Amino acid sequence: MMTVFREIRKHPLNYLILFLLFLFIGILLFTFRFDSHNQRRIIYLAAALYLGWSLYHHYRRGDLSLSIFIEYLLLALFALIVVAATL
Amino acid sequence: MKRFLSRLFIPQESNNHRALILQPSFLGIFIAVYLLNQSLLQSLTIARPGILGYSSEITPDKVWVLTNKERQKQDLPALQYNSILSESAAAKAKDMFAKNYWAHSSPNGESPWDFFRDAGYQYSIAGENLAKDFYDTESLLKAWMNSPTHRANIVNSKYQEIGIGVVNGVLNGMKTTLVVEHFGSPLNGRVLASAPVTPASATAENFGPATSLHPINPALVGKILGSVMFAIIIGVLIIDSYITLKNRTSRLTGSSASHVAFLAIILALLIFSRQGTIF
Repeated sequence: MMTVFREIRKHPLNYLILFLLFLFIGILLFTFRFDSHNQRRIIYLAAALYLGWSLYHHYRRGDLSLSIFIEYLLLALFALIVVAATL
Repeated sequence: MKRFLSRLFIPQESNNHRALILQPSFLGIFIAVYLLNQSLLQSLTIARPGILGYSSEITPDKVWVLTNKERQKQDLPALQYNSILSESAAAKAKDMFAKNYWAHSSPNGESPWDFFRDAGYQYSIAGENLAKDFYDTESLLKAWMNSPTHRANIVNSKYQEIGIGVVNGVLNGMKTTLVVEHFGSPLNGRVLASAPVTPASATAENFGPATSLHPINPALVGKILGSVMFAIIIGVLIIDSYITLKNRTSRLTGSSASHVAFLAIILALLIFSRQGTIF
């Protein structure tokens, strides 16, 4: 976990943005906790924000590459498939 | 085997210092396995309708009692049980099974009010609440009370009567229980009360051929499989971060912190998401 904290300390603004985005998503999910239709839409929004943040973060770090973007894309896609199938 | 497992979970020179599970090809395999599982479940709904689905212990009398309890909390008079309204509610549920839809309006354009009229209920004001895939009545009422539009029907002071249809059947190849609440006030102001403690309202009705009593819940299967896969990826991401720090390895990969945060949100949603859908 130390490497995670070291990474966060190196790019505090990027991770503050990520924290605020996920906090916003968490609040939305709690607000619509009895509404699976909207929960699904919120996860689609979360996946889009996560991909957007990955582009911003790696561009700022100067290591944006196709392989890194594919890693984020596959995780987001996996999350969307599971959520669409279960909610 | 031991070596392969080590490459699968632990970053080392032989896997380019990234656990195989976290590499795009393996993430693709995770997705493929999950999609294959969903396809098999989907095939089962076509080959053996009724094998998959949601079991339920909901009955009309339980829904009626809990609906009136919610009204009582708001100091509102109890809704009288009306058998004509119950007929219209059950007819609506059976129509959804027969035409395979899940909505207030049917594919033919029939509105809920058509069912009130067809059953012979002349109303001055009326409303409809729908629910499916719930196991128990308490969770169902909680979901309705947490939805502003459904709550507005339950605690509407203008309604005097209620009819409830609870029908078991097969919708989109899956066994489920549809619950329909029809609220109304009669046009002439006369309230026809009837007690719901008849065999028909103390049990759910069945629509279509008899299906297995304990169907396999497809959402639960997908939820368990997805949760296990996410938990494995999160665990490997944490191990991967720890070993990378220990070995001071420099590599070009995505941010483990953001992956863990994103997957943890999805995992929490899968674990804490509730049963059923309301409309």
